[in-house]
Amino acid sequence: MKIMPCPLNGPRNISEFSCFGEVADMPEPTTADDAAWAEHVWYANNTAGVVREWWCHVPTSYWFIAERNTVTDEILRTYPASEVYNQRVEFAPKDGTA
Amino acid sequence: MSAETLRLPAPSGALVDRSKRVAFTFEGRGYEGFAGDTIASALAANGVRVLSRSFKYHRPRGILTMAGQDANTLVQIGAEPNVLADRAPISDGLAVVPQNVSGSLERDRAAFMGRLGRFMPAGFYYRAFYRPRGIWQRFWEPIVRRSAGLGRVDTNAPHGYFDKAYGFYDVAVIGGGPAGLSAALSAAQSGAEVLLVEEFPILGGALTYARFDAAGEQAAAQCTELVAAVEAAPNITVMTNAVCNGWFADNWLPVIRGNRLHKVRAGEVVLAAGALEQPAIFRNNDLPGVMMGSAAQRLIRLYGVRPGRSALVLAGNNHGYLVALDLLDAGVEIAAVIDQRQAPPPDPAIDEVIARGVRVLSGHTVSQAVAGPGKRSTVGAVIDSIVGPGEVARQGERVACDTIAMCVGYTPTYQLALQAGGRLGYDDAAAMFSIDGLPEHLHLAGSVNGRHDLEAVLADGRRAGWRAAGGAGAEPSVPAETGESPNFPWPIYPHPKGKDFVDFDEDLQVRDILSSAAEGYSELELVKRFSTVGMGPSQGRHSALSTARLIAKASGRTVAQTGVTTARPPFTGEKLGVLAGRAFNPERYTAMHHRHLEAGAKMMPAGLWWRPAYYGAPAQREACIREEALAVRNGLALVDVSTLGGLEVRGPDAAEFLERMYTFAYKKQPIGRARYVLMTNEAGTIIDDGVACRLGPEHFYVTATTGGVDRIYLSMLWWNARWRLDVDVANVTAAYAGVNIAGPRSRDALAAVTEGVDLGAEAFPYMGVREGLCAGIPARFIRVGFVGELGYEVHVPASQGEALWDAMMDAGAAQGIRPFGVEAQRVLRLEKGHIIIGQDTDAMSHPHEVDMAWAIAKKKPFFVGGRSIELRLRQPTTRKLAGFAIEGPVGEMPGESNLVLRGNTIAGFVTSVVRSPNLEKVIGLAYVHPDDAEVGKPIEIKLDSGRKLGAEVVPLPFYDPDNQRQEM
Amino acid sequence: MATGAPQPTDHLRRSFVYRELLSAGAHFEGEGGAAIATHFGDPAGEEAAARRLGLADLSPLARVGFKGAGTAEWLAKQKVAVPPESNQAVTQDGGALAARLAPGEVLILGAIPGGALAGEDDLPARLAAAWAKAPIPPKTPRGFPVPRADTHAWFLLTGADSPAMFAKVCGVDLRPAKFAPGCIAQTSIARLNGTVIRDDKGRLPAYHLLADSASAAYLWGCLRDAMTEFGGAPIGLQAVRALVNST
Repeated sequence: MKIMPCPLNGPRNISEFSCFGEVADMPEPTTADDAAWAEHVWYANNTAGVVREWWCHVPTSYWFIAERNTVTDEILRTYPASEVYNQRVEFAPKDGTA
Repeated sequence: MSAETLRLPAPSGALVDRSKRVAFTFEGRGYEGFAGDTIASALAANGVRVLSRSFKYHRPRGILTMAGQDANTLVQIGAEPNVLADRAPISDGLAVVPQNVSGSLERDRAAFMGRLGRFMPAGFYYRAFYRPRGIWQRFWEPIVRRSAGLGRVDTNAPHGYFDKAYGFYDVAVIGGGPAGLSAALSAAQSGAEVLLVEEFPILGGALTYARFDAAGEQAAAQCTELVAAVEAAPNITVMTNAVCNGWFADNWLPVIRGNRLHKVRAGEVVLAAGALEQPAIFRNNDLPGVMMGSAAQRLIRLYGVRPGRSALVLAGNNHGYLVALDLLDAGVEIAAVIDQRQAPPPDPAIDEVIARGVRVLSGHTVSQAVAGPGKRSTVGAVIDSIVGPGEVARQGERVACDTIAMCVGYTPTYQLALQAGGRLGYDDAAAMFSIDGLPEHLHLAGSVNGRHDLEAVLADGRRAGWRAAGGAGAEPSVPAETGESPNFPWPIYPHPKGKDFVDFDEDLQVRDILSSAAEGYSELELVKRFSTVGMGPSQGRHSALSTARLIAKASGRTVAQTGVTTARPPFTGEKLGVLAGRAFNPERYTAMHHRHLEAGAKMMPAGLWWRPAYYGAPAQREACIREEALAVRNGLALVDVSTLGGLEVRGPDAAEFLERMYTFAYKKQPIGRARYVLMTNEAGTIIDDGVACRLGPEHFYVTATTGGVDRIYLSMLWWNARWRLDVDVANVTAAYAGVNIAGPRSRDALAAVTEGVDLGAEAFPYMGVREGLCAGIPARFIRVGFVGELGYEVHVPASQGEALWDAMMDAGAAQGIRPFGVEAQRVLRLEKGHIIIGQDTDAMSHPHEVDMAWAIAKKKPFFVGGRSIELRLRQPTTRKLAGFAIEGPVGEMPGESNLVLRGNTIAGFVTSVVRSPNLEKVIGLAYVHPDDAEVGKPIEIKLDSGRKLGAEVVPLPFYDPDNQRQEM
Repeated sequence: MATGAPQPTDHLRRSFVYRELLSAGAHFEGEGGAAIATHFGDPAGEEAAARRLGLADLSPLARVGFKGAGTAEWLAKQKVAVPPESNQAVTQDGGALAARLAPGEVLILGAIPGGALAGEDDLPARLAAAWAKAPIPPKTPRGFPVPRADTHAWFLLTGADSPAMFAKVCGVDLRPAKFAPGCIAQTSIARLNGTVIRDDKGRLPAYHLLADSASAAYLWGCLRDAMTEFGGAPIGLQAVRALVNST
C-alpha cells in the first residue's frame, strides 16, 4: 500500500485518504459563459503528468493539496490548502443588488 | 519397497523427530511417519510415489521439488482443497485424499484423457467451445465445470479464525538461506530493526539440504554459525513457516504465517529468495520418480528419506555431482551421471564421483524416462548422445533406475522483484535470467542476484544488508564467481512421441508451445493466453524459462527480448480467509438501540446505523406498520431520529456560509427558528436536505440526512478551504440522540417532562427551535413536521439518550404512547408528499424537477449548484416528479422503480409508493412527462409482472393539504 | 450483585458500553453524574492484567473539545498548557490532558478521579463554564466548544502488550520507541476513525483511545477480541488508579 505524506498527520497508509480530483479554479459564476461553466462542472482534465490534487485525510477531515505524477504515481509534494487559497473569496452580487 | 529400507538414520532428517510416530491415512490407507514429516515425505518413506493425477491428462504425478513449488503434490484434507503435500505436516489421524481423480490414484477412470492428448492441442479452449452456436451451454460447460479445478470445495466447511496484524521494520529480509541470514546479520549489526522471513520451518535455506563441497562438510558448519548469530541478535525478528506473498508500493509486504496476514511495512527490503531449480525436458519427464536434484537432497537431509533405490543423475552442471554424492551417501545406487555438457570443467566432486565407481557419461542426455505399469513409476531411462541444441542421435541405450534427479539449472526467484518494477534480462553467457531496474529501497542478495559460490552468496548478503541499513564504513565487497554457470543452455530434448512436458500444471508439451509460435503468437503474454502455459498453481516457476527459450528460438529473438509474463501477486496460493482476515465491519447503534430490541423491533441497516424498521413479528409486518402510522395520526407515538446528521456551524460567517452551501436564504433567519435546507452539488443536482436551526447570531445547528452527513461535512470543509470564511463546522451527529414525539397528544405528553420551554402553540410555533430541559436532560426542541402531525424533535446528548427515551415512554404511557419505526415514518411522510433525497431524487434531479423552486433564494450572489441550475433550466424539461393516486382495490401493487409509460416510450418511473393507511388508497411519487404532471392527468405504470396499471396525478400533499395538523 | 449496588441506569448519563461492562461482570461507582466500572470482581488480578494488557472504559469521565479560530489562544488565557504542535498532548497541573488535534483544535481529557495528579481543577467543566460566560459575539475569536463527551467514547489501553494489540487493529506504529509519550495518532482503528494518545501510567505504556460513541460497542468487541491472544482483560477504575499512583 502506498504511503501518503499528510501535512498534518505525517506519512500514513493511503487507505486513510480520499482523493477529490484535480485542483481547479471555479470560473466566476455570474460572468462565465455557459460553455466555460459546463467545462468546469462536467469535464475533467485527466492530465498525464504532474497534477495538483485535493486529498482529504479522512480520520481528521483534513483537506490538503498533493502534487502527484499520474503516470508514475509518485507523490512529489503535499502542503496545506492555505498555501494556495489564502484569501477570503467573495462573490459579486447579482444584478447589482446585495 | 519397504519403509525400513527407505528411512535413513540421523543426522539425516533435520526436520523429523524419530521419537514421535504419527499415524495418518492417504486415500483411506493407513501410514506411519515421524513428527516433522510432510505428507509427501512420509508417503515417500512408505514407498508411495503417486501423489496426484495431472490436470488435463490425469497422468500420475509425484514429488518434483519437495519445496511446495509445484502442483504435483496438491491434495485434499477434509474441507481444505489444494494443500501442498510436500509442505503440509502430518498429524495423528490426518485423513489425506488425492484430488482430480475419478476412482483411485492407482486406477483413475479419467486416465484415458492422456490418450486423447492429440485432440486437445494448445488453444483448444479457444477453438473448441465456440461453434456450433450454443454448444458451450449445452455440451461443454457441464463437462468443463465437472473437470475444472483440482480440489473439492465444501460450502459447509466451518469458518476458521483468520486475522491480520501490521508490522513495522527498518529492513525486511525475504529468504532465510545463506544470503538472507548474512544480510539480516549485517543489517542488524548496523543497528536496523530487521524482519527475516523464511518459508521453511527452519532457517538456513540451501545450507540445510544442499551440498557445497565434495566432502559435504561446508554447509552444516556455516549454517550452525549463521543461524546461531541470527537467533542471538536482539533486533532480528525471525518468522519461519512464513511466506512473503507479494510486493506492493512503498515496501508493503503481505507476509502470511498460519492464519495471520502480517501487513509488513519495511523501510528497505532485501530479497534473498534464492533460485528455483528447473526441470530438463525429455519424454516422460513428469513420471513419479523424476525429480529435481534439490528435491532428492531435501528428502535426504530434511526428512531422512532415501529418494529411491537406484538413481540416475541428469546433470548440466557440477551440482549434479554433488547430488550424486548425496545419493551415494544415502545408500542409493547411482546408475549413471549423465552430463549434458560435452566437456565438464574439472571439479573435485566429479573426481569423487568417478572415484566411487560411478559411470559418468558427458555429452549425453536422458531423452526418455521409461514408465512402469500405468505410468505410475519410473523404471529406467533412455540415454542418447547430444548432437546439437535439442538434438540427439537416437541410439537408445536403456539404463534401469527408479529415480531420475534433474540438475540442469535454475531461475532466480524473481517474482517479488518483478512485482516491484524490476526488469528481467537474460545473461546469454550464463544462460540465466537476471534482474535489474529495481526501485529504490529494494535490494537483491544471493542466488536471486546471480551469485552461486557460497562465499559470494554470503558476501552479497552482507553487502545488501549493509546497504539496506545504511551501514557505516567501507561497503563489503563481493568476490567474483569462480566456476561456470550452473545453467546448461539448452536442456530441452523434445521427443517425436511427445509427453515431453514444459508445464506440468497444465500438461503442456513442447509441441504445444511451438504450435503457439507457429500460430503467430510470439509475444509471451499471448503465448500464455493461447496455450495456458504458466497459468497453473505454480505460475510458471518451472515453465517460464523453457517457454522463453523455445519461443525465442522459434521467433528468432533472444531470450531477453522474449522475457516472461507479468509477475503479479500472490507468489504462492493463499486462502481467501487470509485475505478476509477478521472482518472489521463497524456498526453504529443509537442510544436507544437496546430499547428497540426490547420492544421487539425488526432492525434494518441505514448506512452503518441500525434503525427500527417496525415493532413486531415479520409475519405481521404490514399490520405493524399500519398500526404505527395510525397511532401517529390519531394519538401519540415516537420515533428514534438519532441517526439524523447533525452539524454545528458557528462563527461570524455562519449565515453567509449556509447561504453558499444551501439553496435558501439564512442571513435574516431569526434566532429560535428552523428553516429548510436543500443542498445541490456543482452540477445543480439535489444531494441533501434537512433543517437549519438558528441558536444564536453566529450559531446554527444544521441537520443532514443519515447517509449524507459525513459527505456533506467533508464537502463543507472542502469549500471553506477555498473560501476561507470565518466559520467553523463540527460534525456532532454521534453527540446527539433524538426522538420525534408526534401525534395530536404530543404537546401534552411532552409538557409533562419539559422545563424551561413553553410548548404552547403561540409561544412555540411550527418551525420553532427552543433550548431547555427534557426529563432533566439539556435538550434542543425543534417543531418540525416530517410526518405531518403536531410533533417535536427533542435532541439530547447521546450519553443520555436512553434516559430520554425511557422518560418519554413513561410520560406518554397514560396517552397510550408507542414507538414507530422507519417504515411507518416513510408512509407518513409520503402521505405528506415529502421527498427523501436519494429515493425520490437521482443523480439528475434538480430542484425544479421536484417542485422545490420555492427553496431557492434567487437574489443571493451565489450558492453551490446555482449557476448549473440556471443553465439546466434553459434546457427542455424532460420530467417532473408528481404525486399519483389509485382509487379502489389494486390487485398487484406498483413498486419502486416501476416504469411510467407514455404510449410506447418511457416517461419516468415510480420513486415511492404505499397503500396509505389513513387515506385508504394507493399513493405514490413518480417522475412523469412534464405535460402529464398536471393534476387530473392519467399516467400508466408498468408493473413487475408486465401488466399495466392506470393512475391519476393528484395534488400534493395527499394528506392534510392545508398543513393544519402539524401547525396546530 | 448486591442489592443497592450502584448501577449505570441509576444515572441519566450512561457509558456507551455499559451493557458490555455489565456482561463482563463490572462493579460500578458513581463519578461525575454517571456510573463508571470500578472493577470486575478481581481488583488485584486486574492490576496485574493492567501491566500486561488492560482495557478500561473511561467514557463517563469529563472531556470537552474546542475548535475554530482563536482556540489555542483562548485556552492559553484560561491557563491551559497548549502543546505548540499538532498531534501532541501535554498533561496539565491538575492531571487533565490537553491534546492538540490540529492548529485550531484541542481536546481536553479530564483527570483520572482519585489519581495522583487529580487536583481541585475540573478542567473540562471550568473551561465549558468560562466559554459560556463570555459575551456573544466575542471581542476576540476564542473557538467553539465541541461535545466530545458525547461524540466520542473514551477507552484506556494499558500495559506492555498494548502496542502489539494495536498492531492488529491500527496501521500506525505505536511501539514505545516510535511513538513517544505525548504523541497523538488520528487514524483508522478497526476501520473506525479514532484518536490514540500515548499517556503512560506508572512507567507502563498506556494509550487513550477516542472513537465514535455510536460505534463504541463494536469497537469494544474488536478490542476484546484482539486482546485475547495476550491474555488482556477489562480493567476498572481501581486498577487504573493503582497504575497512575504507582509512578
